Amino acid sequence: MKYAALFALLLVMFFAGCDDDDPVAGAVDFTIDFRADFGGDPLAISSETYNYPTGADLKVLLFQYYISDLELIPADGSGAVQLTDIDMIRWQSATENSVTSRTYEVPAGEYSGIRFGLGVSPDLNAREPSDFAADFVLNENEFWNANARYVFAKIEANADLETDGTFDTALTYHMGSDALYTTVTFDQDFTVDGEGDPALTIVADVLAAMSDGTDTFDISDPDQQRVHGGNQAVAQDIWNRLAAQFVLEVR
Amino acid sequence: MAGLVFTAMLVACGSPEPTPYSPAEPDHFAKILYPEDNPTTEEGLALGRRLFFDPILSADSTISCSSCHLPERAFSDGRRVSVGINGRPGTRNAPGLANVGYLHRTLFWDGRADNLENQAIHPVGNPNEMGGSWELALDRLQRHPDYRERFRAAFGLSRAEAIQRDHVGKALAQFQRALISGNSKYDRVQMGRASFTEAEALGEAIFFDFADDPTGPYAALPTGECAHCHTPPHFTNQQFANNGLEEARALTDFTDRGRGMVSGTPFDFGRFRTPPLRNVALTAPYMHDGRFQTLEEVIAHYNRGGHYAENKSPNVVPLGLDSTEAAALVAFLTTLTDSAFLNNQSFHSPF
Repeated sequence: MKYAALFALLLVMFFAGCDDDDPVAGAVDFTIDFRADFGGDPLAISSETYNYPTGADLKVLLFQYYISDLELIPADGSGAVQLTDIDMIRWQSATENSVTSRTYEVPAGEYSGIRFGLGVSPDLNAREPSDFAADFVLNENEFWNANARYVFAKIEANADLETDGTFDTALTYHMGSDALYTTVTFDQDFTVDGEGDPALTIVADVLAAMSDGTDTFDISDPDQQRVHGGNQAVAQDIWNRLAAQFVLEVR
Repeated sequence: MAGLVFTAMLVACGSPEPTPYSPAEPDHFAKILYPEDNPTTEEGLALGRRLFFDPILSADSTISCSSCHLPERAFSDGRRVSVGINGRPGTRNAPGLANVGYLHRTLFWDGRADNLENQAIHPVGNPNEMGGSWELALDRLQRHPDYRERFRAAFGLSRAEAIQRDHVGKALAQFQRALISGNSKYDRVQMGRASFTEAEALGEAIFFDFADDPTGPYAALPTGECAHCHTPPHFTNQQFANNGLEEARALTDFTDRGRGMVSGTPFDFGRFRTPPLRNVALTAPYMHDGRFQTLEEVIAHYNRGGHYAENKSPNVVPLGLDSTEAAALVAFLTTLTDSAFLNNQSFHSPF
């Protein structure tokens, strides 16, 4: 009997000592999808040829952006619920789907919106990659010199300017600085209760970042084919359009 | 009683028998990610070191890991492509191994291994490398009194038959994770303990595109576009790119399909993993097929902007470097040589 009691005690301590995952009371898993489009169609990296408004053809090889402080805004006016402080949303392979998903643990309740910062928030942008785990999103090697810090977003493509079937004009738009950091907010009422939750999809359209139908970024200008680090001003309007074009789809 | 309970808890939670070992890491590196099922231990590291330099794993006991990864060459071999058993040439260049433990994504030029443990298993059965089989290699290890004892000490294996290829892979991975290079001149400059020469500083400015700042002191320079892929501190982004080595009017024209052989998509044909550049001055020849004998040839390639393919990285464009600037880039790359790493006898053969 004495040994049975001791065994039971050890068993309890084994589980107490090895398991420290306690679920948050009242929380449910909630998934947010991120989709990339080009001109309203799902983005296909490398494999699809896209028409550009100026008459060129494009093959998109990379589209990525950081988001900071992704938050749900409670309907009762209480403090925002942070889902993540930083994440990178990236499409870089022909094998990838145009939708990538993230699942968060969210308090059940009524919400009136969702918001995030496009880019790396200034406090994180001041930190070194070595401050973080090697597999953390700020160690994705999207880091340049100390003046510009992390690369907030990238669009890379090969263009066929003459429409001769040769995609021989390289386009690389690497954007990021504290001054560019932009908060994106969607006003949208929804309820999270773990049953019948709405499907939220945050959509970013590469073409919408390059052209809004009225103003189109001139990719034929050799001075506008590469933006890296210090020449951010060249891509200012790409960034502005990128930040302004996000759409929240609710199903 | 309390002591008994505490001891029981430790046993229950898996207290390891071997002695934990954590090699010192530079402060400016994000720490190595040690897999939960293969923490480095003194015994495992010592075993891995012996296995690395011992040809026992090859069919005829002539080829070891160190045949293609020589410490004095920063663990590369100086050959265009590796040469395996019976002089059989491989298909790709042997990469250096400095800081390979920091590469937590994929390994091999085509990324076909997910981690060091898995990578280490590949060469044994490759007819162009060790040319043997795991059945043969394990039989030798299990019958070897010294190795039996070392596997017992490293992994708690009480029976010789318990030695399996996963244990070999784990031990080799432990040794390779210890191959840390963080004391090059480049590192010392970053820490304020050394200064670049004029040529090295010019090369750094080109490497990191300082000319992108139109108001900066290097505004008139060309940009090298190097750091988009060769990002510090390990000078790789661990991603795949076609860096324009071959002209491919159609994607099927590539002679080595690279990443595409793993991913299965033709859009990855001709794409290879960006190699780290630590100690790059010692790891010639260069590229996945060893086509360039010198760093000067490498820079000349990038200066021309590479050959056409629709999936060529848009970051590979003509650079416009003159001969002084190209030489400066070589000077900067040479600052990545770490003599302390090269001379570290604990990285050399124990035999």
